[in-house]
Amino acid sequence: MRIPPFSSPGLLLAGAVTLTALALWLLLPRSSSTRAARGVGYVFGTVALVAFIMSGRRMGCIGDEVVFSIVSIVAVVSGAATILTRSPVYSAIWFALSLAGVSGVLLVLGAQFLGVATIVVYAGAILVMFLFVLMLAQPSGLAPYDRVSNEPFLSAVSGAVLLGLLSLVIGRMSLNENFSESSAFAGFVANNPALLERQLLQDDHVARLGSQMFGRHLVSVEVAGVLLLVSLIGSIAIVSRNTESQSKTLLRGGLRDE
Amino acid sequence: MNEASLLNNALLVGAMLFSLGLVGMLTRRNLIVMFLSAELMLQGISVSLAAWSRFHDDWGGHILVIFVLTVAACEAAIALVYVLGVFGRTGILDVAAWQSLGNDSMEKQVDRELPSVDTLSPQWPRLTPAGVQPEIDQNELLEREHI
Amino acid sequence: MNCSNESTSESFVPFYFPFFVMSFMPFFSTEMSIETLQLLVPLVPFIGAVATIILGRVLGSKAHIPAIASIAIAAAAALVLLAVEVERVREGTTVESAARPDESIVTLWQWAGVESDPVDHNANQVATRPFSIDVTLRLDPLTATMLSLVTCVGLLVAIYSIGYMHDDPGYPRFFALVAMFVFSMTMLVAASNFLIVYVFWEAVGACSYLLIGFWFQKPDAARAAKKAFLVNRIGDFGFAVALFLLFVTYGTLDFHDSLSPNGTILPGILGKTRLMDESGIIGGAIGTAVCLLLLLAACGKSAQLPLHVWLPDAMEGPTPASALIHAATMVTAGVYLITRTAPLFVACPGALVVVSIVGASTAMVAALIATVQNDLKRVLAYSTISQLGYMFASLGTGLALGFTAAIFHLMTHAFFKALLFLGAGSVMHSMGGVIDMRRFGGLRKVMPITAITFLCGSLALAGVAPFAGFFSKDEILTALRTKGWPDAAHHSSHESHAMSGLIAPRMHLTSSVESVTNVDAFPASLEALNTPFVWQILWWMSLITAGLTAFYTFRAFFMTFTGPTRVPHEAGHHAHESPPTMTGPLVLLAIASGVSGIWIFGTQSLSLFLASTPSLAAPSVAGTAVPHVFHLDLAVQGTLASLLGISIAAIAHLGRRSDGPHIERFLGPVGTLFENKFYIDLIYVFVVVRPLEFIARLLAFFDSSVLDGLVDAVGRVPFSLGRVLRSLQSGLLQRYAVAGVVGVLALVLALVWQLRG
Repeated sequence: MRIPPFSSPGLLLAGAVTLTALALWLLLPRSSSTRAARGVGYVFGTVALVAFIMSGRRMGCIGDEVVFSIVSIVAVVSGAATILTRSPVYSAIWFALSLAGVSGVLLVLGAQFLGVATIVVYAGAILVMFLFVLMLAQPSGLAPYDRVSNEPFLSAVSGAVLLGLLSLVIGRMSLNENFSESSAFAGFVANNPALLERQLLQDDHVARLGSQMFGRHLVSVEVAGVLLLVSLIGSIAIVSRNTESQSKTLLRGGLRDE
Repeated sequence: MNEASLLNNALLVGAMLFSLGLVGMLTRRNLIVMFLSAELMLQGISVSLAAWSRFHDDWGGHILVIFVLTVAACEAAIALVYVLGVFGRTGILDVAAWQSLGNDSMEKQVDRELPSVDTLSPQWPRLTPAGVQPEIDQNELLEREHI
Repeated sequence: MNCSNESTSESFVPFYFPFFVMSFMPFFSTEMSIETLQLLVPLVPFIGAVATIILGRVLGSKAHIPAIASIAIAAAAALVLLAVEVERVREGTTVESAARPDESIVTLWQWAGVESDPVDHNANQVATRPFSIDVTLRLDPLTATMLSLVTCVGLLVAIYSIGYMHDDPGYPRFFALVAMFVFSMTMLVAASNFLIVYVFWEAVGACSYLLIGFWFQKPDAARAAKKAFLVNRIGDFGFAVALFLLFVTYGTLDFHDSLSPNGTILPGILGKTRLMDESGIIGGAIGTAVCLLLLLAACGKSAQLPLHVWLPDAMEGPTPASALIHAATMVTAGVYLITRTAPLFVACPGALVVVSIVGASTAMVAALIATVQNDLKRVLAYSTISQLGYMFASLGTGLALGFTAAIFHLMTHAFFKALLFLGAGSVMHSMGGVIDMRRFGGLRKVMPITAITFLCGSLALAGVAPFAGFFSKDEILTALRTKGWPDAAHHSSHESHAMSGLIAPRMHLTSSVESVTNVDAFPASLEALNTPFVWQILWWMSLITAGLTAFYTFRAFFMTFTGPTRVPHEAGHHAHESPPTMTGPLVLLAIASGVSGIWIFGTQSLSLFLASTPSLAAPSVAGTAVPHVFHLDLAVQGTLASLLGISIAAIAHLGRRSDGPHIERFLGPVGTLFENKFYIDLIYVFVVVRPLEFIARLLAFFDSSVLDGLVDAVGRVPFSLGRVLRSLQSGLLQRYAVAGVVGVLALVLALVWQLRG
């Protein structure tokens, strides 16, 4: 266990949080936003990101560290871009990139199925749906209200404070003596000698996951299926009602035109 | 690989995604971007769950992430349908258009100066002129504005 | 001495009673007992009133039918009761050749009752006596007389009202109120319990209030009603305190004796047991206080100085109501009350002399004011006050003659004052509501019946023989002279000695019980007034008042009915004699005014009859009875005074235009004093109204600024807080979300801070 160099973790964290808040505030869409302010925001954001990376732990293997850093930077930066960009279409595309980063993180964490499912379900289905809706609702692409944000300062500060608090808790937790890998894992194994073998990181990871889902969590899966069905029927019902009224409106307008 | 460090770093990534999603949820006024922010928050949660699952070598986190995915899909479907409905009524995706939740006696908040869209008009690629300029149908130009 | 007639009626033979009562006899006597009749008298008008209220809209212009029918039945029942009572008294007197108390009591139900401790029962101790308020009706000569008077005058007035009120929008309401008044008044005189009397004392006051304010759209009428009610409250307050004192002193509020559950007799305040006992009635400071408080009550109801101010204003009500309530019946309730409680007064000579002083001064002051009034009804109103003062002066003598003379005058006055009021109403009716005597004149040609009957009433009021007023006034003067010149008649000096002999041991007893001397100083100082000199002054005042009465009465008569005929333009072209429903009662009352006096005086029936009333048959009262003598000198003096007044009135007004020069021109500043009613209203304004107004303003200021300010401040705090907090409710969804997130962060921060160790 090693504490990052040249700084006490608390100070680093406080600086990172402050810079995050400032960067978010400067970069959030605003009517009086200038190029210089945005530049300062980019700088602050970059510095904050570096600070957060520095507050991370060494994971032993340099390859792992590099891969994890790259995917997590992709996830976080494109996530930030999602909320900071003005055009909702760009937001959606940045979100897709962020999903890719998240999927990478999940892969690094050994969750193969989740990583792929995230790409497939989110980027392939949900995000496409978002884009469809955007196309339907906001075909012109830009709207005035996309260019101003609501309570930017307070929101940025509260988001940064939340981040700081979470980082503080996470850091404190992993600094705890009892919370080392050896002790935790040793205790785990001591309690369950049959589980000496690792469950997750196996070649038949997906098969095991499947047996878990359709074994122990079968009822939950069924419930989730019902939930999907209900939401499907519900959205169809709502859409049909809306389109009915809309078509009526259209019909009336058309008649008036003629 | 140091499991505790991996957990720490993954949780940090999850926290950052969650916080960014929160800020987006609170600040952006476009309903669709708000939902994107919500999805971002869910992503943060998913990362954290997967990290804990790895650390404890337990399937629970994975299962939960799968259900989160399911619920997110449902939520997105329903919510987007509602967004469409809202748009059908008001013609606007601004969350501030729904101020009737407030006290009736209060004046509705109206944006003072909304920036005009013209400041950021789309830039179409310009081709180098070669030969006679082709005739462009005026209607086609009008259509382009809306793409 | 078993003298109760409380059993049901034996067969009775009407002896000399008018025939029309006899015609009812078979109808009643076979089926109905006396108790039923006693109950019938108040009950039927009550039913009539309720029926009129319920059916008023349906009946419309026939709304008088239930009221008049019920009052007629009540009048018939009252006359039957009078006949029964007369018969009883006649039998009693022939057997024992002396007046004996006669009463019959009907207990209807127990209104309120508290059981006493049966073990430690002591009839003389107040605390252990059972407390019970029974609704009881009594019948004795006084009650029978009053019942007949109230119902008969009420009947005549109600019949008269058919014509007078015929096109009034409140026609049913008027008759309901009249019937309700008759109910209340009959209950007042028939009740045998001070508390019940008090209840109906208030009830007649309420009816009076409603009738004065009958035309409540008129601000004057509403104000007059309010004034009458408020002034009466003062007297009622006195009555209430008197009741408390009586209950504390005697332990009961019943008039009559009653049987306790274990068979002993519980003496009532005016029951035979107590009246026959020499020390039964308590005098001294307590007794005097009770008497003075009762006098205050009587002053309020009977409009005596200084509470007389409401009566002239009460003329804002309809004229029949003025005639019925404010001249003939209700205002005599005070006289009735003092007569009923005569033994209490006789035990306190100090209080008695106060009664006379109040009465005589009221009579004189009111007469003086009446001489300069130009409003016909106001002349009559002040005349009523003056005549009531006469009655009070007579009551104050404390002689049996005085009490019977007061009731005698009450009766004759009821006849002729009702007559005069109804005559005035008749004039007013045909003059289109104008009542100012300066605006019309010579009406004898326009309305001859009214003029003649009004003349009868005026002669009776002025006390010209042989009209009724002469005889009753003569008796009052006789009573006063007996007190003023005790040596003139040897028997009266003897009686006064006997009376002082009766009172002295009682005084001694009380003073030994209450050893506080300054308590006794107060009745003693009042008794110091009880000298022949004071009574002589009172007698002279009454004689002068008789002259003044004749003057203002005939001034009004001459101004209205003689001189050149003039009719105000409000009357239009239909100045005419009133319809038969109005002139009929006038004629009947005129006959009554003419003959009732000489008949009653000649037969002495009334005084003999009333002497059997338990209150007046008490030894302390009955002992002062004098043999009936017609004093020629007194009659001459009274007649001379009347004729003098009539002559002056004739000189000033006979045959002249009524808007010509007036007597008050010759009076100068004194006339101004009279015209302004001795400034009594003004004194009230400065002594009572203004200070009260000042206090009220002060309290209102306190209320509106301090209390309301406090309340407003309490209300303003959440209001301003709300105005601040309302800005949070912007309806902007994300603002709510930000607030929520900030709150959650604060909580998490606090948690982390707590777990930092």
